[in-house]
Amino acid sequence: MDTPPMNRSRALLQKIAWSIFTILFVIILNFFLFRVLPGDPARAGIRDPRLKKEAVEILRIRFGLDKPVINCFESLNPIKVGSCDVNPLDTQFFIYIRNLLQGELGFSYHTNRPVTEILSERLWNTVLLIGAGQILAILIGVALGVFAAWKARTSLDYAAVMVSLLAWSLPTFWLGIILLFWGSANGFPLAGKATPGMSSMPLLQQWGDILWHMFLPTLTYTIVYMGEYTLIMRSSLMDVLSEDYILTAKAKGLSMFQILKDHALKNAMLPLVTVIAINLGFTVAGAIQIEAVFSWPGLGSAIVEAVGRRDFPMLQGAFLLIAVAVILANMLADLTYTYLDPRVKME
Amino acid sequence: MQTTIQTSEPSNQVTARLLGFWRTFRKNRGGIVGLWMLVFIILVAIFAPLIAPYDESSSAQTSISDIYQPPSANHWFGTDDAGQDVFSNFIYGARVSLTVGFFAAFISIVIGGLFGLVAGFFGGRWETFLMRFTDIMLVIPDLPLMVVIVALTKPSLLNIIFVIGLLGWTTTARVVRSQTLAVKSRKFVLRARAIGAGKGHIVSRHILPLVMPILVVQAVLVISLAILNESALSFIGLGDPTTLSWGQMLNYAFGRGAMSTGAWWALVVPGFGIVWVVLSLTLLGQGLEQVLNPRLDTHHLMPAKPTVRKEAGEQPAGKGSLLDVQNLSIDYVTEGKARAHAVENVSFTLKEGELLGLVGESGCGKTTLMLALLKLLPAAGQIVNGRVYFKGQDLTELGEDELNKVRWSGVSIVFQGAMNALNPVRTVGDQIEEAIIKHLPDFPKANLSARVTELLDLVGIAADHKDHFPHQYSGGMRQRAMIAMALACNPQVIIADEPTTALDVMIQAQILELLDSLRKKLGLAIVFVTHDLGVVAEMCDKVLVMYGGVTAEYAGVDVIYNDPRHPYTQELLKAFPDLTKPKKKLSSIPGYPPRLDALPSGCRFAPRCPAAFDRCKTEQPALHRVGANGHIASCHLIEASK
Repeated sequence: MDTPPMNRSRALLQKIAWSIFTILFVIILNFFLFRVLPGDPARAGIRDPRLKKEAVEILRIRFGLDKPVINCFESLNPIKVGSCDVNPLDTQFFIYIRNLLQGELGFSYHTNRPVTEILSERLWNTVLLIGAGQILAILIGVALGVFAAWKARTSLDYAAVMVSLLAWSLPTFWLGIILLFWGSANGFPLAGKATPGMSSMPLLQQWGDILWHMFLPTLTYTIVYMGEYTLIMRSSLMDVLSEDYILTAKAKGLSMFQILKDHALKNAMLPLVTVIAINLGFTVAGAIQIEAVFSWPGLGSAIVEAVGRRDFPMLQGAFLLIAVAVILANMLADLTYTYLDPRVKME
Repeated sequence: MQTTIQTSEPSNQVTARLLGFWRTFRKNRGGIVGLWMLVFIILVAIFAPLIAPYDESSSAQTSISDIYQPPSANHWFGTDDAGQDVFSNFIYGARVSLTVGFFAAFISIVIGGLFGLVAGFFGGRWETFLMRFTDIMLVIPDLPLMVVIVALTKPSLLNIIFVIGLLGWTTTARVVRSQTLAVKSRKFVLRARAIGAGKGHIVSRHILPLVMPILVVQAVLVISLAILNESALSFIGLGDPTTLSWGQMLNYAFGRGAMSTGAWWALVVPGFGIVWVVLSLTLLGQGLEQVLNPRLDTHHLMPAKPTVRKEAGEQPAGKGSLLDVQNLSIDYVTEGKARAHAVENVSFTLKEGELLGLVGESGCGKTTLMLALLKLLPAAGQIVNGRVYFKGQDLTELGEDELNKVRWSGVSIVFQGAMNALNPVRTVGDQIEEAIIKHLPDFPKANLSARVTELLDLVGIAADHKDHFPHQYSGGMRQRAMIAMALACNPQVIIADEPTTALDVMIQAQILELLDSLRKKLGLAIVFVTHDLGVVAEMCDKVLVMYGGVTAEYAGVDVIYNDPRHPYTQELLKAFPDLTKPKKKLSSIPGYPPRLDALPSGCRFAPRCPAAFDRCKTEQPALHRVGANGHIASCHLIEASK
């Protein structure tokens, strides 16, 4: 017989170490993507034709683009990529890493403000939107999935499955557009997070205003992600309900409700935790589209705006922040699973 | 549909397999609808110039007044921000969206398939490297990375296809790897390797054909994701400005005032195209998945089929018997299939402290019969005749709420193979307590733990295992825990459904001894379902021999062993060693029990019966009384000898 606590803490450590490794990978990827892909980011970003060559040069220095990309690390690098005659500490890569460690992501080409500052304002708006949307989608999806499994092979089940498949097939941004179109005719706010001038109002009213603005984006989010959760919950619960131990529970004289509550739901929820974790990446994709449609001031619209303005430091910073957030959230979901399932014994 | 089937290798085997696949798939309504929806939109894309009323770039002749015209006879779906016909652009947009979807998915499937195949087949370092890489790519959010790459390169159609394709392979790699691993360890592959077949040969001849179907399902899903990603990229403003995909149409309409002018047509129509394609692929994917991994789609909580009775006016419950089963018949009813008569006309009685052995080969309806006693049949099962009296109350007449009072407190069950009969995420002690709390609400809470310890002690499980999970128990312990749980509410009857199969001999003996001693100590009545005639001889008072869902013979244990009248009982006894006659020759019964959906028209045992004669093949024998003491057997020979 084994001792699960030790196994479990080892599994946890493994997962944490692996997530850190993935984050390092993303940090390096993020650096090279913006240096290796075609197009001098400075020229692309600062492409005002009125700028003189000297002015561009000054801007290049300001954004650190005059420095060599990376030291060639002569001993490790037989093909001599990079500049070998520079101080490794004076390369863009080293400065990038050093700045990252200090929480600096450079300056926005567009507003000249520190990227970190802009992103930290916007991060919480995205977290708010995704949080509210996910919670609603999970609650409704689980409820609908349980209902469909319980009524399996009836027309109610069939309808629930069809609705879910349809919801799953909707392009997020398009559903947003349709709801916005509908909302604009029904007095819903069309854009943003708050009515201008609201900041002078009492706090409660401010929050009410934000909720009012959140309604349509959150609704879009909920509909798009609800379908998948319904389908997964249904099939997961169907699997669990056909297990032998459910027959045991039935033979024990437990009521339908007791069996669902005490024997089926927890077991059926376990796969859902994994799916929620895997879905976090898609979740962000949805947020980007929804924020773009509703001009919700979050990370997603930051990305879209940065693309439109060729604001590469913003794009780079936003991508890094999103990727790291997803990796961390994924790790958390993984850890939750390990904690929930007593059977987990890692290899 | 003939064409899709015959495009592959000329080999007859492949064609036959595909035909079989098609036949199953054809029954899947959703899958078929999806397929036709997809075929339709592909045809629309191919014949776009014939269908579209206007040219692809008809804006050259437009004027300001043409912008955002509402739907009319000239423009079925109105015009867009450039005064172009929305319907024509929609038709041509299908070409772009489908092209991106198919080509990007092709790249993803090739990469994912290759990675999965290599990782699964070669294992070792390759697997570690490829799968770790896949894991990393799986966590990095797709769309933001696509946005970054497309923003940094030229947003041309080719670039978009490559970016989506190169980032969309992760799930495919995982799925293909696990399928390859599964296929690799199958017998015919191992055999091919043992006789020294080359790796290329094994992969192409043995593994690829079995990985292919999964790859097709995966491809369908990847295409739909690629189309969704392309439309999102275009909407964000990263589409190819020279082509007009559906996403691009939406980008232009949304960005250029369709919302404020109220031009709903320019916003609704292109999105409808995306939904159409994605929904068709989703339905198709689900349909294919269903064919590959058929699910029964039933579970234990589905409502039971109502009890019906062919014959009314049965006898009331026999006096003095705890359990009185009369003429019980059970059918399995599946849509589109013939009724299977799983149990027909079975009767037996059980008195306090009695032990009835229920014997017969697998598939003879023993488990069905036991489950029917407490109305625990699977959803397809239906009681079609007979009654089950427990202490004078007909259980077949009861509803769920009333049954729940009898279940476990009156009659409890020790399930076959207790491996999965205990909930894996709750401790064993907890599951035993649950039964007590349910049926003995007055039981003092403070004593619960002590009672569970006592029950576990009764079956020889140490108290410190109480708070362990089932996976921490050995097989024998789980079986004993199950018995402890069955005893928890002091039932009068215990049904033990093969409680000792799959256990080693020592533990078997322990469990049997335990049951027997409990019977003597607590006055339990036990129905013991088993294959083991030795056990029956040693412990049972009465024996019910079942064959093909009917009673072959029913009598006291001595009668069964000394004067078996049914040839099946006689053959079963010949197949068992007897310690008192060590020189006895053992024989087995050739053949198998009949399938319940294809029962022979006469006696069900006739095809295997050494004594069968003509009448046996045409007429089902009735139950005959043999002498006194309730000895019953169903065989034409008995009538002949009377």
